[in-house]
Amino acid sequence: MSPRWRTWRLAGIAAAAALLAAAATSAALARSGGTRTSSASDTLVDGTTDSVTNIDPANEYDYGTFTLDLLIFQGLYGFPHSSKLEPVLATGCKTKGTAATWVCTLRRNVKFSDGTPMTSADVKWSFDRVVKIKGDQGIYALLSNLKSVSTNGPYSVTFHLKSPQSTWPFILATNAGYVVPKSLYPADKIRDNSQSQVGSGPYELVKYTPGQQAVFKANPNFWGPKPKTENLIINYYSKSSTMKLALQRGEIDMAFRDFTPTELTSLKTASGITVHSGNGVVIRYLVFNPTRPPTNNIAVRKAIAYLFPRQTIASRVYHGFVQPLYSMVPAGLPGHIDAFKTVYGASPSVAKARAVLKAAGVKTPVAIDIWWTPSHYGDASADEYAEIQRALNSSGLFKVTLKSAEWAQYSASPGKRYNAFQLGWFPDYPDAEDYIVPFYQPDNFMANGYNDPKMTALIKKEYAATSTPARLGVIKQAQMLAAKDVPIIPYWQGKMVAVSRNNVHGIDSTLDAAFNMRFWLLSKS
Amino acid sequence: MAGQGTSLRVYLITRIALVLPMVFILLTFVFLLMRVAPGDPISASLGGHVPQPVINQIKHQLGFDKPLYVQYGNYLWDILRGNFGSTITDRRPVSDIILTNGAATLELTFFAMIVAVVVGVLVGLVAGRYRDTPLDVGGRLFGIVVYATPVFFLGLMAQLLFGSTLGWLPTSDRASPITQATLQTHTNIFTLDAIIDGNWGDLGDVVLHLILPATTLGLVTAGVFIRLIRVNVIRTLRDDYIEAARARGIGERAVVYRHAFKNALVPVITVVGLTTAGLLGGAVLTETTFNWPGIGHELVLYLENRDYTAVQGIIVVFGLVVVAVSVIIDFVNAFIDPRIRY
Repeated sequence: MSPRWRTWRLAGIAAAAALLAAAATSAALARSGGTRTSSASDTLVDGTTDSVTNIDPANEYDYGTFTLDLLIFQGLYGFPHSSKLEPVLATGCKTKGTAATWVCTLRRNVKFSDGTPMTSADVKWSFDRVVKIKGDQGIYALLSNLKSVSTNGPYSVTFHLKSPQSTWPFILATNAGYVVPKSLYPADKIRDNSQSQVGSGPYELVKYTPGQQAVFKANPNFWGPKPKTENLIINYYSKSSTMKLALQRGEIDMAFRDFTPTELTSLKTASGITVHSGNGVVIRYLVFNPTRPPTNNIAVRKAIAYLFPRQTIASRVYHGFVQPLYSMVPAGLPGHIDAFKTVYGASPSVAKARAVLKAAGVKTPVAIDIWWTPSHYGDASADEYAEIQRALNSSGLFKVTLKSAEWAQYSASPGKRYNAFQLGWFPDYPDAEDYIVPFYQPDNFMANGYNDPKMTALIKKEYAATSTPARLGVIKQAQMLAAKDVPIIPYWQGKMVAVSRNNVHGIDSTLDAAFNMRFWLLSKS
Repeated sequence: MAGQGTSLRVYLITRIALVLPMVFILLTFVFLLMRVAPGDPISASLGGHVPQPVINQIKHQLGFDKPLYVQYGNYLWDILRGNFGSTITDRRPVSDIILTNGAATLELTFFAMIVAVVVGVLVGLVAGRYRDTPLDVGGRLFGIVVYATPVFFLGLMAQLLFGSTLGWLPTSDRASPITQATLQTHTNIFTLDAIIDGNWGDLGDVVLHLILPATTLGLVTAGVFIRLIRVNVIRTLRDDYIEAARARGIGERAVVYRHAFKNALVPVITVVGLTTAGLLGGAVLTETTFNWPGIGHELVLYLENRDYTAVQGIIVVFGLVVVAVSVIIDFVNAFIDPRIRY
């Protein structure tokens, strides 16, 4: 063997040995302290498949960013403890004369996380900038009824609305109403995600890596009770299967949004893990265009309503993690009635569907295209719409062709292009009004062409109602009319679900119709 | 020598000059593809929740209702000034995506290529040297299997075995959540950052997180190298100078490892270089499987949202990287082998 060859061989062996030693050392170092599973009791790690757009509340309108902003910012009203609307930065708001003028008294001694005190000037600034910036996420649309904001001293604010709105405090609880410090947030542009974000909430954001992680620490200047866990990390995942593995391995303590129904069923039996569920307010519904055939024939829409397989969707597709829904207003919200159950029955009825089509002289089977979107509403959408197709086709009354398009293509004015299509909704605020007004006005966001003057009149009446019982009474009438007109068929209401390791406490108390994950109430043992 | 040097310089200048039309075609192609695909970023983010007039107003604010040629002109002008803009969906500077997520991809690619080259060269060399023996058959089978196995499937199996069943290795992300939260990022390459800070615990954590994704991606990439190196070794071993070396009494081991092997590797350089450049654009499936926040992973997310600015910016930068790498490889090859010149 030549000396040079011997040298190379020795070098190769040395290199291999070095690699092996490095790997072993890394593993040892990691186990001694480097591989930090989330075992520290002062740090809670949450996983989510949601994503974040703009943290500045003047331009965020998606649930992922809302969950993050809820920790940093606050509004004059909110849902800090339950689904009951409560004053937060205000001590109360009252109408002055009509519900077109609201006077709010601010809580004193509130400081932002940077130590600056909050005053009425900050409140006015916050609302004015949302309206002025008109951010491309569209949150300013929630303030479309706001004419102006005035201040009456450092602790009083008056909202002047264009028309009376008895639900204005609910609007104050949305992210459009979050209060930011005037000294830091520009009047005419969004504060970038790379810049610090300052609010009065229970946590402050200490580090944000887009698409990866948001790190929070308890706000030392918070006016309310300290969060039960000092540090919070939200880890972002693109696939729920990866998040599931991380949860099972203990790399994260909990996961909120979103596992597939199959994954949830598997997690229910996983060791050391608990699946928590509570009332939710997310809904799914099928929209019709009532101006184009065949869905312009009300008999066709009613027949589909008679045949709709709510129970099998809830049990077979979603394994019980959703419940059948019989009104656009979800069960659990004041004003809800099971309007569709009253009009069409609790279960599918082929006989009634046949009768309504026969009475209208409609030839069967009716050919109809139903559209759905594969990924935006979760992987179960395919099974959901396969079940709808099966139910309608097996009646012999319909011949359904399923069609799909990715969300970016699907979402642009679907009502103008599709006769029957899938949509979902999570509310801007958990009130029945937010399940009626956006859907049943002539210029609704679905652009499905629905226009019933009776419904439009009911909506105007609801806005102008001066008492809650009066308002809810109108909402009940609107639900019944919606069931009779049937431009939309609501079919399931989701439960609010979070999954955690067994050492995380407090989750069940935060699963309610407000749909807020109140991380500040959670702790680890 | 003077003639050779001139030739090389002319080749280099010509090669660089060809970059301009290549990049221009790429820019135009990306712009048109994004506009032709149905959907737009505003509808993608606001559709299903906001009235159409509001969506139209926002599109107008962002200039999406301007004529295509106006949008194209603005797009080219921005690129020329080095302004890749900010994403539409989350207003993130495209340069930040390149630096942050690009660093994650660079880290993954680097370690994956180490695995790919080591495994590919070793197995390819042994297979070529011991042709038509069980070692050769085993090596070829191994190469085919790892090459044919979808990377996401291999990754998923690795996660289930090593992460879930055995509990030996983490299954996702670049580091544990707490490590990632506390690590000081100087370069965004976590291994380097941990070394810079002398934080050996964090380094161990980061390396552990690298093992599964780098090995998965490396093995799949090695499948290409194994076959290529094997073929080149076999071909080289048949060359006249090898016969001559044997005839002169040089030992078989020296013939293979000192003479044949080096020459067999030269054609492989091009493939290794281009593969690396391709991976730098983001190994999308690997990154998605392991929740690795690389540039390919981000590109897919922005594509789903039809985020014109993000997609254009990322693809342009990626295109420039591939073009630069291919120019460098062409130059190196031309330098080594003067026959490869215009």
